[in-house]
Amino acid sequence: MLTITNLQASVEGKEILKGINLTVNKGEIHAIMGPNGSGKSTLASILAGREDYEITGGEVSFNGGDLLEMAPEERAREGVFLAFQYPVEIPGVSNTNFLKAAVNETRKHRGLEPMEPKAFLKMMREKMALVEMEQAMVSRSVNEGFSGGEKKRNEIFQMAMLEPSLAILDETDSGLDIDALKIVANGVNKLRSKDNAVVLITHYQRLLDYIVPDYVHVLYKGRIVKSGGKELALELEAKGYDWIKEGAAEEVAA
Amino acid sequence: MEALDFQTSLIKGFTAFETMLNGQKVPPIHDIRRQAMTRFAELGFPTVRHEEWKYTSLVAAIKHDYKLPSQAASTLTAAEIAPFLIPELDAQTLVFVNGVFAPELSMIHIQKGVTVRSLAEAFHDKHPLVEKHFAKVASFEKDALVALNTAYALNGVFIELERGVVAERPFHLVFVNDTRMSSVFTPVRNLFVLGENAEATVLDNSHTLTASKNDQPHYGFTSSVTEIVLGENAHLHHYKLQNDVEASYYVGATSVHQESTSVYNSVVITLSGGIVRNNLSSVLAGKAADAHYYGLYCVNGKTLVDNHTLVDHAVAHCTSNELYKGIMDDRSTGVFNGKIMVREDAQKTLAYQSNRNILLSNNATINTKPQLEIFADDVKCSHGCTTGQLDEESLFYLRARGLDKEQARALLLTAFAGEILEKISLEPLRDRLEAIIAERLHQELA
Ligand SMILES: Nc1ncnc2c1ncn2[C@@H]1O[C@H](COP(=O)(O)OP(=O)(O)O)[C@@H](O)[C@H]1O
Ligand SMILES: [Mg+2]
Repeated sequence: MLTITNLQASVEGKEILKGINLTVNKGEIHAIMGPNGSGKSTLASILAGREDYEITGGEVSFNGGDLLEMAPEERAREGVFLAFQYPVEIPGVSNTNFLKAAVNETRKHRGLEPMEPKAFLKMMREKMALVEMEQAMVSRSVNEGFSGGEKKRNEIFQMAMLEPSLAILDETDSGLDIDALKIVANGVNKLRSKDNAVVLITHYQRLLDYIVPDYVHVLYKGRIVKSGGKELALELEAKGYDWIKEGAAEEVAA
Repeated sequence: MEALDFQTSLIKGFTAFETMLNGQKVPPIHDIRRQAMTRFAELGFPTVRHEEWKYTSLVAAIKHDYKLPSQAASTLTAAEIAPFLIPELDAQTLVFVNGVFAPELSMIHIQKGVTVRSLAEAFHDKHPLVEKHFAKVASFEKDALVALNTAYALNGVFIELERGVVAERPFHLVFVNDTRMSSVFTPVRNLFVLGENAEATVLDNSHTLTASKNDQPHYGFTSSVTEIVLGENAHLHHYKLQNDVEASYYVGATSVHQESTSVYNSVVITLSGGIVRNNLSSVLAGKAADAHYYGLYCVNGKTLVDNHTLVDHAVAHCTSNELYKGIMDDRSTGVFNGKIMVREDAQKTLAYQSNRNILLSNNATINTKPQLEIFADDVKCSHGCTTGQLDEESLFYLRARGLDKEQARALLLTAFAGEILEKISLEPLRDRLEAIIAERLHQELA
């Protein structure tokens, strides 16, 4: 589904990603962990199409197409979804209108008619229930005045509405209390299927208790320095990142 | 014609105007007209050297050969004015053509306690409220355009609501300049007096009818002064829609006198025109009076839109809240000058002012200037202005959900404008404005 080959990127002349290799297949869940400033959000943003970064090398193919050539909206319509680490507040744009436009654009891309208002509302209600969102929140402007947790939940709600094939969750668990975390995890698990894939960017093992990954990768200083199964997350939890850092230093020295 | 010529012809034309007034040249109104003419002759049209006109040059506006009110009679058909009406609006509609009231195009409903008629008739009948308030709310001492308007004051609308009366229908005032035969200068003068506890909604708009493109271009120049007196706890919702042709110039002043706990809500929407100047001012003369000023200018081409506001907090416990927003494209120019005066006695004043602009083109300019003059110590005042482009983060967020760039921009601009449009409680008006703005943004972003 997604193949990242030797991806390198910089911003304002500063190299941030230094050759990322990652393959994600249908049905898989990958967790990407790593200390702050490693380049996790940069990777996620580049996959979603943020234009602030200069791609200095490498390729990303998504379902056989060249992802980096696509505009952000094309990627979204093709099934890429980024749950933002810091979702932006957009006063005056109602969640409902925005989602309707988003859902219908994706449908149009797939050759489908726009949804009937009734069917759309029904779908909204179902997905709201899934992430335990209240109507009041959905009726408001996009993220306006939402708490940190509410914003994250709204991201998962949008994901549920858009039914992406590849969901990238950038620290969706940060700032959530345990109840909210369970809700988010439950939402993600319900949407899992053999045709979808999820990339979970997280800081903490905690989320991985509820969403069990197939693979865990450690991103450090712009490189994936270690990959393994779910037990790697536990190891990280127990030992911290220092041993990774030391290991990475040795590798570079060698 | 040179600038001076129009000024001279206005001064000379005053005699012809007086002749036309014939039996109506009676005191006290006519004495005021004469004083105003003298004052206009002294002041002359303001130039950009005048502090209040620094960014708004009238040179282009006053160089044309205008017919004065008494020389440009026109009658229009219902079909010709139809585009300026809002069919879904069940209103008291008063239509004026080249300044003259057109009863056949108007629709007046009788309501007890409500007087609505042409000001000329009220002058003629020596209506006591007209004589009491005329030229008292809008002073012409320092303002040449108000002086000019006062000198030529004859036509416009007089509305009176007796105490406790709530107008059943909004008042829709439509001023049409017919410039198909010549350029036309139209002075419009309105007076609204709301008694204690009365409530009304007024929508006013000016439009210029132009000849077909092949003919020699003519211009319409409207000078408008509206005086408003709000009695205790009276409420007025005042909407202005300005969506006129490029060959039009509009200089308007709305002056409001507010008694205690009265509320004046103003929403001024400017969508097009040549030069549009709006002066808006309130004297908050009674305790706990509120003034809310909202403005949206969404302009392109070479339109110049200039909003000057002045809120005079004369007594304690009053609130003023101002929000003006601009979306400027092409070579358009915007001016916002908001003055808040808090006098010594006006303790516990709350005064907020904000001006926010989005520039869609590098050639659009905005000049914004807040002026706070605060002489009381126990007050809360704030002002702020921002000018910029659309927020890149928001654009990316929307695009990352599948909306294309144009859709995303349109959605954000619609939201930006929506904050002002939602202040309009006349639904048919709001719907129409939303449609016009959606259409405009669609074109602009295409
Ligand atoms: N738009 C940007 N401009 C400048 N520096 C950036 C930008 N985005 C990321 N960086 C820098 O790149 C590095 C990686 O950041 P980020 O991808 O956010 O890391 P992580 O998500 O792993 O914490 C950091 O040093 C950060 O300061
Ligand atoms: Mg991050």
